[in-house]
Amino acid sequence: MSDTGRGSPFAPHTDAETTAMLDAIGVENQEALFDIPEDVRFDGEFGIAPRSEREIRREIQLHLDRDDDLTAFLGRGHYDHYVPSMVDHLADRSEFLSSYTQYQPEVAQGFLQALFEYQSMLVELTGLEIANCSMYDGASALGEAATLALRARSVDGTRVLIPELLADGRRAVLENYLAGTDATIERYPMADGNADREALADTLADDCAMVYAENPTVRGTIEEGLSEIGELADEHGALFCLGTDGVALSLLEKPANVGADVVVGDAALGLGASGGLGLGLFTTHEDFLRQVPGRLVGVGEDSDENRAYTLTLQTREQHIRRERATSNICTNQAWVALRAAMHAAWLGADGLVGLAEDCVTNARDLADRLDDIDGVEAPAHDRHHFREFTVRTDRSAADMREELEDEGFAVHAIDDHLLQFCVTETNAGQIDELAAAVEVVA
Amino acid sequence: MSFDVPDDRGYMESHEWASDEGGTARVGISDFAQDELGDIVFVEFPDEGAEIAHDEQLGVVESIKAVSDLYSPVSGTVTATNDELLDAPELLNDDPYGEGWLVEVDLADESGLDELLSADEYRDQIE
Amino acid sequence: MRYDQATWTREDGDENADTYEPLLAEKRSTEVAVDESPLPDDLTRESVALPDPSEPELARHYTRLSQMNYGVESGPFPLGSCTMKYNPKFTEDVAALPGAGTHPARSAASTQGTLELRHHLQTYLARIGGMHSVTLQPPAGAAGEFTGILVAKAYHEEHGNDRNEIIVPESAHGTNFASAALAGYEVVSLPSAEDGRVDVDALEAAVSDDTAALMLTNPNTLGLFERDIEEIAEIVHGAGGLLYYDGANLNALLGRVRPGDMGFDVMHYNVHKTFATPHGGGGPGAGPVGVVEELAPYLPSPQIEERDGEYERVEPEHTIGKVHGFAGNWLVLLKTYAYIARLGDSGLTDTSAKAVLNANYLASQIDYEIPFSPFHHEFVASADRDAADVAKRMLDYGVHPPTTKWPEIVDEALMTEPTEAETQAALDQLARAFNNAADDSDEALETAPERTAAGRIDQADAARNPRLSWQALDN
Ligand SMILES: Cc1ncc(COP(=O)(O)O)c(C=O)c1O
Repeated sequence: MSDTGRGSPFAPHTDAETTAMLDAIGVENQEALFDIPEDVRFDGEFGIAPRSEREIRREIQLHLDRDDDLTAFLGRGHYDHYVPSMVDHLADRSEFLSSYTQYQPEVAQGFLQALFEYQSMLVELTGLEIANCSMYDGASALGEAATLALRARSVDGTRVLIPELLADGRRAVLENYLAGTDATIERYPMADGNADREALADTLADDCAMVYAENPTVRGTIEEGLSEIGELADEHGALFCLGTDGVALSLLEKPANVGADVVVGDAALGLGASGGLGLGLFTTHEDFLRQVPGRLVGVGEDSDENRAYTLTLQTREQHIRRERATSNICTNQAWVALRAAMHAAWLGADGLVGLAEDCVTNARDLADRLDDIDGVEAPAHDRHHFREFTVRTDRSAADMREELEDEGFAVHAIDDHLLQFCVTETNAGQIDELAAAVEVVA
Repeated sequence: MSFDVPDDRGYMESHEWASDEGGTARVGISDFAQDELGDIVFVEFPDEGAEIAHDEQLGVVESIKAVSDLYSPVSGTVTATNDELLDAPELLNDDPYGEGWLVEVDLADESGLDELLSADEYRDQIE
Repeated sequence: MRYDQATWTREDGDENADTYEPLLAEKRSTEVAVDESPLPDDLTRESVALPDPSEPELARHYTRLSQMNYGVESGPFPLGSCTMKYNPKFTEDVAALPGAGTHPARSAASTQGTLELRHHLQTYLARIGGMHSVTLQPPAGAAGEFTGILVAKAYHEEHGNDRNEIIVPESAHGTNFASAALAGYEVVSLPSAEDGRVDVDALEAAVSDDTAALMLTNPNTLGLFERDIEEIAEIVHGAGGLLYYDGANLNALLGRVRPGDMGFDVMHYNVHKTFATPHGGGGPGAGPVGVVEELAPYLPSPQIEERDGEYERVEPEHTIGKVHGFAGNWLVLLKTYAYIARLGDSGLTDTSAKAVLNANYLASQIDYEIPFSPFHHEFVASADRDAADVAKRMLDYGVHPPTTKWPEIVDEALMTEPTEAETQAALDQLARAFNNAADDSDEALETAPERTAAGRIDQADAARNPRLSWQALDN
C-alpha cells in the first residue's frame, strides 16, 4: 500500500480490478458512472495535500503541543474522572466500535446487551423505571425533557422554570429545543447557591409544564430541599426534571425519592476530559414510556425461545413517525454509553460510592485550604458541595484566572469576584500546588 | 389473498367498521387493516364519556414498524372501551370483528351508520 | 450450536441455559449501604446495588459480547444511506494523543493549538462543501439538520419573513421531517416524480410565501442525482426560500460536485458516514453545518476565527445560540480532520469514484430488479418478497444485509451501499448472498437466520411487553 498514493488508501482496488469491474458494468471509465450535469461539476481543487499517517500524527501532536500544559480545575458539567485502561481496550474492539445501530438484532446481541445493562444501571441509580440508551449530552437531554413535558402534560401550560444559575450551554440549548414551541423559559432565583424554594413556590402555578432543578447545581452545591420542589411540581401538575450526573447519583438522594419525573445530565463516566464529547442521560417514569425520545433496548425471545435483546418501541422514533416523532435523534452516543457501563461495572457499587464520596471530601479539602488564604473566601456558598465550589475573591476574578494560567492552572472565572474550582481524583494530587498558586495571585 | 368482510356492518375507506347494536354502535378495524399493519403492539382510544365525530381521529394503532391513525365511522359518545386490548393488542389481529372491537358509541344520529360503505362496496375498494 | 463468529456455545455447553452470556447483574452484584458518607444522611441515598465483577470477569464479559456483534471489520456491511466504510485505525490513535481532549472551558489563549485544528477543519469542510463558513457544534446529522433549519429560521425572521413551512421529499430520511418539526415548522411532503427524482412541477406548486426551505439530499435516497438541481434551486430561491442539503450522501460526490455550487445555502456534513469516523454501535458522530456567506451571521456560537495568527472564539452577529452543551463531539471531529488529511484532494475524489464503481458493480452482479437508475453510491433493489426476510437470510451467508423497506417508493426495498472500501472479492461475496437468498425457499427465508448468535427475535412480543431493564425481568 502506498503511503500517500494517488487515490484513497482505503479504497482497495488494483487497476486490473477496476478495469474488470468497469467491464462487468459495461462502461468505459469511472467518470461515465456519474450522471451529473456539466454545469454543476466542480473542476477546482480543495488544496488539501494528502499526508501519511506518520505525518498526520506528528502534525496533530505539534498542534496539541501548542496548547499550554495546564492542570485544569474545571467542571461546570464536563468532568474529568479517571477511566480505567480496560474501558479503552474493550470498547475499542472493532465489533463494538465499527458497528451500526442495532437494526439487525440477531447480529448485534452484544451491543444490545451492553446497552440494556447500561439502561438497567441507570434505573438502579435513579429509581425511575425507564432509561433510554443515550442522548447527545446533558443539554440536549434537558431540551428533550422539556418537549416531553409539553407533550405529556395534559393541562395546557407552557412555562418552563429553570434555575437562575445554570450552565450557559444547557440554557442556550434548551432555548433552541423550545424555539419551535410556544413555551416560555423563566428563571427562578437561587438563595446562596441553591434553589430559592419560597420564590419557586410563588412563581410555580398550574400553567407550568416543567420545573428543572439540579443536584449538584452548576456551582457544585448540593440541594437540600428537593422533595419540596418535587411536591410543589406535583401539586401544580408540572413535571419535575432533575439534572445530575452518573457519579453524583450514587451518593445523593435517589431522584425517585424526591419526586423527579425525568432525570437528565451528563454521565461523567466512561470518558475523561474530551473536549466536550459526552453522554446525555435520560431516565423517566413508566407513565411516559411512549413519550421517551431516542432508542430503547428491550428483552424479547428468539425463535429458540431464548432471551434476546432488541431495539423496541421504535414507533416513537423519527424513522417511523417522522414529523410526529418524540425526537429527531437518530445517531446518538451509544459507544459512550457502552464505555460508561463498563466504567460503572469496573467501579462496582463500592467503587462508585467511594468515588462520589471523594468528590465531597476533595472539594471540602481544597475549599478549606483556599479559605486560609488572604483575599479569598471559600466556599462562597455556605452549602455542602460536590466536586466543585465557588470562591469569592477580593481582586478581579478574571485577572486572577489569567494569572493562575500563568502559574499553570485552568479555573473558571464566573463573575466579577467569583472563581470556580472543580476537583476530581485526576487533579486532587495537585491541590497543594494550586493553593500555593492562588496564594501568589490572591 | 382474501379478507373477511362481514355483511352485517358498515365500513370506512380508512378501514374502520361500525356495527349497529340498536342505538349504539360498536367500532373496530377491518381484517384487511390488521393484516396491512402486521403484529399490532399498541392501541390508544378515547376514554368512556368522550365525544367523537365521524371521520375525526379516534385513536392510534401501532405495529412494530408502522403507526396508523384511526378515524371514527360514527358520531356520538363513547360508552364502553375494550380494555382487554391494552394488555392484549394482538386481539386486533386475531379477531378484528369480535374480541378485537375498540369502543362502543352511543350514536348522536342513527342514520350516521347508513352513510358508511356497505360490505360489497368496501370489498371492491380493497380488492 | 449457533453462530460461527464465536467459538463458544451456550453457557458451559448447557443446552438449557437461555442465554449466551448472563447479564452482569446475574453474575455478581453488591448492595452498598451509604451510611458513613461525608454528607448528612438527609442528603444521601440509602444504598446502591450494582454489578461487582472483577476486571478479568469484565474483560471476558465484554469480549464475549463483542463476539456477538457484527461490525465493519466482520464482513461486508452495505447498509444503504449509512456509509459503513472501514474506519482507519490511526484516527483512533490520533484522538487518543495526550492533550487531544482538553476541557471545553479552557481559555482560547491557552488552547491555540486545538483551536487552530478546529479552524483547519472548518476550512477543509467549507472547501469540500463549497460553503463560506462551517460550525462544528452539532453532534450528529439530525442535530445538523436542526441547526441548519434554525439558521434558516433566524435568517427569515431577521428579514421580516413570516414563513412556516419546510418542504421535504417523501423519500427523505425520517430525521428531515422530525428536525423541521422540532424547529416549529409545518412539514410539506413532496411526492417523487415517476423517475424517482423531485417532481419539479409538484415543487413549483408547493412553494409559496410560506416556504422557509426545501430539504434535499443529492444523490437522493435512490442514489439518483437530482439533475434538475439548478432549476429546483431557482424555484425555491424564487419563492424566497432556502435550500438545505442533507449531507448523508456526500460520499458519492466528493471532489466532483459541491453542494454550494449546486445552489444549496445550508448543509450538514455527516462525518460518521462520509469521513469514516466509527459509528460506535449508534454514535457518537458529528454533523457540522456549512452555510453560504449570507447565513454566516446566524451560525451557533462560538465560531473559531483567525485574526493575525491568533485563534479566537467569536459570537456571530445574529447567532442562533448553542446546539450542544459544549463544543460538539470534538474527538470525533479530530478523527475527521485526520481522515481528510490522509486522503487529500486525490483521495477524496477517488473515494467517490470507487464508492460509485462498487455500487454499480454489485448491482450488475445481483439477480434483482433495480427500478431506478442511473444510481451512484447506492442503489435500491426490489426484493420481490418480504425484504426483511431476505435480509435475515443474508445474515446466514455471513454478510450484513442492506437497509430494508426504505425508501418506500421501491416495493420491498433493499437499499444497498457497499462503499468504496470493499474489494471486488467482497462484493462478489455480497452478490452471492443476495442471489442465494433470492433462490432460497420461502421457508428458509421465514426461519432465517439460523447461523447467528440469536435466532429471529419476536419483535411483537418485545413491544407488547416492554422489559427495558434487568429490574423488569421476572426471574
Ligand atoms: C439520508 C439521511 N439523512 C439524515 C440522517 C441522520 O443522520 P444522523 O444519524 O447522524 O443523525 C441519516 C442517517 O441515518 C441519513 O441516512
